[in-house]
Amino acid sequence: MSLSMVLRGAVRCNAANLVKSARITPLKSYSTLVANAQRRTLVQPLALAKIAAPVVRREISVSAPRMASAESSHTLLWTIERIVSAGLLAVIPAAFIAPSQVLDALLAISVVIHTHWGVEAMVVDYMRPSVVGNVLPKVAHIALIILSVATLGGLFYFIQNDVGLANGIKRFWAIKGKDAEKKA
Amino acid sequence: MLASEARQVLSRVGSLVARNQLRSISNGTAQLDQQAQPKEAQEPQIKKFEIYRWNPDNAGEKPYMQTYELDLRECGPMVLDALIKIKNEMDPTLTFRRSCREGICGSCAMNIGGTNTLACISKIDINTSKSLKVYPLPHMYVVRDLVPDMNNFYEQYRNIQPWLQRKNEAGEKKGKAQYLQSVEDRSKLDGLYECILCACCSTSCPSYWWNAEKYLGPAVLMQAYRWIIDSRDENSAERLSKLKDPFSVYRCHTIMNCTRTCPKGLNPGRAIAEIKKLLSGLASKPAPKLETAALHK
Repeated sequence: MSLSMVLRGAVRCNAANLVKSARITPLKSYSTLVANAQRRTLVQPLALAKIAAPVVRREISVSAPRMASAESSHTLLWTIERIVSAGLLAVIPAAFIAPSQVLDALLAISVVIHTHWGVEAMVVDYMRPSVVGNVLPKVAHIALIILSVATLGGLFYFIQNDVGLANGIKRFWAIKGKDAEKKA
Repeated sequence: MLASEARQVLSRVGSLVARNQLRSISNGTAQLDQQAQPKEAQEPQIKKFEIYRWNPDNAGEKPYMQTYELDLRECGPMVLDALIKIKNEMDPTLTFRRSCREGICGSCAMNIGGTNTLACISKIDINTSKSLKVYPLPHMYVVRDLVPDMNNFYEQYRNIQPWLQRKNEAGEKKGKAQYLQSVEDRSKLDGLYECILCACCSTSCPSYWWNAEKYLGPAVLMQAYRWIIDSRDENSAERLSKLKDPFSVYRCHTIMNCTRTCPKGLNPGRAIAEIKKLLSGLASKPAPKLETAALHK
């Protein structure tokens, strides 16, 4: 137990180096990791890091290194992101030209998911475990998911029980101040 | 015989004349300057250079900016000339990398006046009212003064396996015959192979600043694309499958600082976009126009 604590401590000291090794070879097996560590003694000066590598795999690499592993593919998600981005060009005008519940729902989903992906990229870029620790990135990511889901739920509620999204925005846009009413 | 001798004599005379002309021109301009503006020509043109200094040997010392004053009239036109002059005549402890002094080796990449570029091909701004600030490449670990640690960058370059890969290596007589490539296929490598790996683009990319350990960066990705799109390379699918994780390529947010800063005028941003297209299946690598292994049969 105490040994593993020591190892974990060493891991934290070498977090940057270990992340490097995790990026360069996917975390497939212990043997590849050790071979990699031995090959790159220049980058990893501490021999402890080699012993501690499997600990990292289990304990710490919950977010970033696993996301960087070769097993996961980001390709489909990227393609969907592009399709949604391009689709927004059609969905936004369509929802305002011919307001309906279906188009409103489509607008709500695509705008919220588009924004979600954008903010998610910011969370990944600026809430890095090497800078803010291991807890805050997860908290931020979960908070973002809750926020996005709540936003979508709220918009659905508005579409179902009120004038609808496009009509609501149109009305909001048509609000005039007291002075404008006097003039008209 | 006579004609050739005459030609030789003539050429010798010609070169002599040319040399004399050259001498008279160089002397003449100096004389002209002296005649036209006898005092101003002598006046030194003092330019301030503020250079990032940090020495790991001085324990606990923080990086600081050191100012050097240089007479531009006694200095070459490029920033590297100024750095070499400072090192030779003023401060031998100033440390920087340089080699070819003509923009082909990529050693002297640094941040000059806020832009990542090569010191050897960036002219000194002759406006002496402003000082010129020189920093090492941004967001890199500094070894000393203007020397950044390039280990991670080179390791990433090694990681994309920058060499030609064939499926049937045993059946082909390596080094005995060429691999054929059509002119059209070869032209796809233009704008890619010229990269000198100076790392100006990668170190100008905010995504690379934040995720240098996991995101490959524009320079390395452009080289990855250079091998993916090469009609003679048969390992494109494997190369692409190594890049499909969320970080290697997809941390590129098309900020395009890379293309803006490239001292060789290349476009890494476009190459990354092409990789993304290939990965998503929106585009596919065309079949080679010529049978590449035809000469090996």
